[in-house]
Amino acid sequence: MRQDVCSECGVSGTGSRYLLKDRVYCEPCVGKASREAMEKGESPHYIPLSQSRVCARCGASNELIDFTTLRGQGLCPACRQQLQNWPYPNWLKIGLAGVLLLLAVALVNGRKYFHAGRSLYIGERLVDEAHFEQALPYLQESLRIAPESDKAVLLTAKAALKVGRVDIANNAIQGHEGGHFEDPGEDFQEVKALWDRANKAFEKADKAAKLEDQDGHAAEAAKLMHEAATEYPESKGLAISADMFDEGTAFEDKDYDKFVSIAQKQWSSYPDSGTAAVLSSAFACKYAITEDPNYKKQSEDMLKEAERRGGQTPDDKKSFEEYAERIRYRLSSREIISKTEYNRRFRSAQAKSQ
Amino acid sequence: MFFIPGPVIAALTFPGVIIHEFGHLFFCKLFKLKVYDVCFFRFGNPAGYVIHEVTEDFTKSWFVSMGPFFANTTLCMLFCTAAFLPVWVLRVFDPLAYFFYWLGISIGMHAFPSTGDLTNLWKIAPTRARQGNLLAILTIPLIGMLYVLNFARIVWADLGYGIAVGMLGPVAIFRALARA
Repeated sequence: MRQDVCSECGVSGTGSRYLLKDRVYCEPCVGKASREAMEKGESPHYIPLSQSRVCARCGASNELIDFTTLRGQGLCPACRQQLQNWPYPNWLKIGLAGVLLLLAVALVNGRKYFHAGRSLYIGERLVDEAHFEQALPYLQESLRIAPESDKAVLLTAKAALKVGRVDIANNAIQGHEGGHFEDPGEDFQEVKALWDRANKAFEKADKAAKLEDQDGHAAEAAKLMHEAATEYPESKGLAISADMFDEGTAFEDKDYDKFVSIAQKQWSSYPDSGTAAVLSSAFACKYAITEDPNYKKQSEDMLKEAERRGGQTPDDKKSFEEYAERIRYRLSSREIISKTEYNRRFRSAQAKSQ
Repeated sequence: MFFIPGPVIAALTFPGVIIHEFGHLFFCKLFKLKVYDVCFFRFGNPAGYVIHEVTEDFTKSWFVSMGPFFANTTLCMLFCTAAFLPVWVLRVFDPLAYFFYWLGISIGMHAFPSTGDLTNLWKIAPTRARQGNLLAILTIPLIGMLYVLNFARIVWADLGYGIAVGMLGPVAIFRALARA
């Protein structure tokens, strides 16, 4: 039988022994030690020593080892170690590593979306501030990743229509389920109103273009084109076309000073191959009626400039060549004739001989 | 309001339960508090628990109780931020993004500390606040609010919190970035 020594009075024996704060006490001493512990604000609880030799957690019993106590419960060394430093299970470590890995994958996978989202929010802010031109590249960038996003499509269409880029608006809308929107909310209605207005204006512009191709209808065509430009003032193209149609009217009215004046204004506002060619044509008209070689030189210079700036597409190049041929004829013959007449005299004959 | 048994919800959102309990255990170990028992997940109520030594130290108690709230909230926001744009704004069908969104909401849904954790904290917070403990002063309203929200779990306050963090958090982040 094991003999335990009271830590207070030093008496050893096999009688009742108690455990308080991991110290062994005999029955007379344990009451005093408990009171003193309470006065110090410490736990006054004690348990029979025999009870402390049964682990409260795993139930193991060992007469030879003094189990330590925790909140009045005996605990074997293994259980005490576990409670003081509870281990993380291996599956949990692997699981948490997996969560961190997934987080990394989520962030990498989300990188393209962050880019598109950032572009979208910047574009949205610029649209709110009415900076439509600056907003457009951001919104188009977001559309590249998310062509089905209602928000991205409607914002892009709105910004594009506000700067007269109906082609961009059309591409954005058609790329969204062929123009179908499930929730025709306020934004959709706003874009639809803009779209309808732009379409109506372009229908008028188409009619004007057809009229202009017919001799003697230049004034009517110019009037229609001005109506289209007024209806959809966001489109620079329509405004330019309206001015160009005024050039046609001036040409038809034989008011070549006005023709030169409008063509010069066009050239200085939008210097490109087309406006250079029109100015060359106007100078050629002035040369034809005045025989002033300065006009001829100016016309030839502008024609070279138009050629240098050249159109981008084969159609542009073809169109330029057709126009240049008539300007050169005007300069060489000093005869001012309409496109229809030129075609009748020279091109229809060519077509027949071929 | 439709009723879905708690174990079903817990099973559907089990990653959140495990991460919540891991948070408790992590802070117990960090502050060397004794841990008596741990369950990371089970089909019962509660779905997980960490039984640990009660401490009078407010800071330790605060971290052990509130640590999982902040850890789960942060992870929810991170996962949902990564998945928010394709799911809600850009409308891109990316299965991975939907998976991350589920993971984020699951974690966020289990952010609330349990009533037991909050009760322990609530018992000592006013005393510590009167003693000038800054953490107690600053977080008493949060503790009170979470205490109330815990009862509102019956009307899906925990799911609401997960969704709110998973939606409003990313929106705030992206709007701030767009203005930067």
